[in-house]
Amino acid sequence: MDGASAAAASSGCDYDESQPQKEIPTLVDASSAPSTSNTNPSPESSIVPSLEEECYTSGFNDDSMQGIEKQLAPFVGSKEPLSALAAEFKSGSPIMQEKIKLLGEKYTALRRTRGDGNCFFRSFMFSYLEHILVTQDSREKDRVMFEIERCRLDLLTLGYTEFTYEDFFNTFTELLENCIPGTEASLSLTDLLGKACDQMISNCAVMFLRFVTSAALQKRAEFFEPFVIGPSHKSVVEFCKLSVEPMGEESEHVHIIALCEALGVPIRVVYLNARSSGDPENPNAPNHHDFFPYDQNNGSDSPDAANVSTDLSKQEKPALQENPAPFVTLLYRPGHYDILYPM
Amino acid sequence: MTSSSVPSRKVLSKIASNRLQKEVMEWQTNPPAGFKYKVNDSLQRWIIEVTGAPGTLYTGETYQLQVDFPEHYPMEAPQVIFIPPAPLHPHIYSNGHICLDILYDSWSPAMTVSSVCISILSMLSSSPAKERPADNDRYVRNCRNGRSPKETRWWFHDDKV
Repeated sequence: MDGASAAAASSGCDYDESQPQKEIPTLVDASSAPSTSNTNPSPESSIVPSLEEECYTSGFNDDSMQGIEKQLAPFVGSKEPLSALAAEFKSGSPIMQEKIKLLGEKYTALRRTRGDGNCFFRSFMFSYLEHILVTQDSREKDRVMFEIERCRLDLLTLGYTEFTYEDFFNTFTELLENCIPGTEASLSLTDLLGKACDQMISNCAVMFLRFVTSAALQKRAEFFEPFVIGPSHKSVVEFCKLSVEPMGEESEHVHIIALCEALGVPIRVVYLNARSSGDPENPNAPNHHDFFPYDQNNGSDSPDAANVSTDLSKQEKPALQENPAPFVTLLYRPGHYDILYPM
Repeated sequence: MTSSSVPSRKVLSKIASNRLQKEVMEWQTNPPAGFKYKVNDSLQRWIIEVTGAPGTLYTGETYQLQVDFPEHYPMEAPQVIFIPPAPLHPHIYSNGHICLDILYDSWSPAMTVSSVCISILSMLSSSPAKERPADNDRYVRNCRNGRSPKETRWWFHDDKV
């Protein structure tokens, strides 16, 4: 929904003048009597659905302050020293300040992404492509291209119409190819940042990642089912339709696991929150969690269709237990992902 | 102040027009049952005729859907409304606005005009009664400036109809 509203904001949606005149909000009515008939004459005032049959709430979408802020933040920002984060929290809790200090012992910089519900995917997209561009690791590029082609086939097998995803795949693979010189249009880091901030290109690349994540979830639906089924989702397919495929839907652990699995790219998430690390020696050390494609995590004791095509990558990967630190490192603060740069 | 009544007539992006051309071709080879695309020269606005499915409350009735595509389709949802007179349905307002999650928050580029049509027909087919939403008059009054349904903050709660 964030994506949709951000998009609406950028196409000049106005919300105030055309609004029926605002009346004094009667929030109390709406929330205390959620199932009675709504006699409130101003749809603007209720933020809670108040009537069984009523389909809409609160009048109309307005991109108020939140929307404006979103518009100002670039999709992907410039690299900032970690001190920028310290400055942001300088009046925050002492635990957070301590954690940021400790974070500074391992990480040098961060790059912010827009908080529009796509931040996990967008951070991953940029971080991964930047890694390829900086390291010129063409073996990794070839490996991931192979996985991408497999994802295309997975979507086809799952019954998706090819034209619904091919443009997004092509956008991403073109970016990827252009990160390694020798191709028609090789990119500089500045070019890559420009692409990642271009609404069309950036959103298409995010959509590509949403498609591959959705495919990975559906492919191993039995495995993911217990993690996604709940009051709001009846099945993995429904979860994908409602919480993976629409732009602006925020990511949870299960999205990260599935994306990591789909592309075979390990991801490190560093958590920055006011909680203790659980380490008595170092209670304020920021936690991190490494997501590895599952076939590398635990040996090959659970052979699965997803393993088949990773033979190529296995030859190149060091033995288990010696998983190198993932090169995609994201900083998680409750509700948001940014990109983090290790020493 | 921009008027919301006229959906943004910005030229379709390259991706949008490529995609729509593929959707037209797909529709021509494999049209969804119960729908007729009324050919016109605009890729950006489709008029589609819907016929109520046999054995439902709307058997044999025909209605017209108007589908407008935004510049950044399919990243953004199309605007889909019934051209009044709209079918009497608990989730369809008399001004043609349709309360259906996939047209708003749950839209994704994985959907197509065809899949949207099928969802709308299925919504019609499962209707228990031919009636307007309880808040029809108030909603329609608030839309009187020709507001787009995409600006409504919809609340989806009923998965039975």
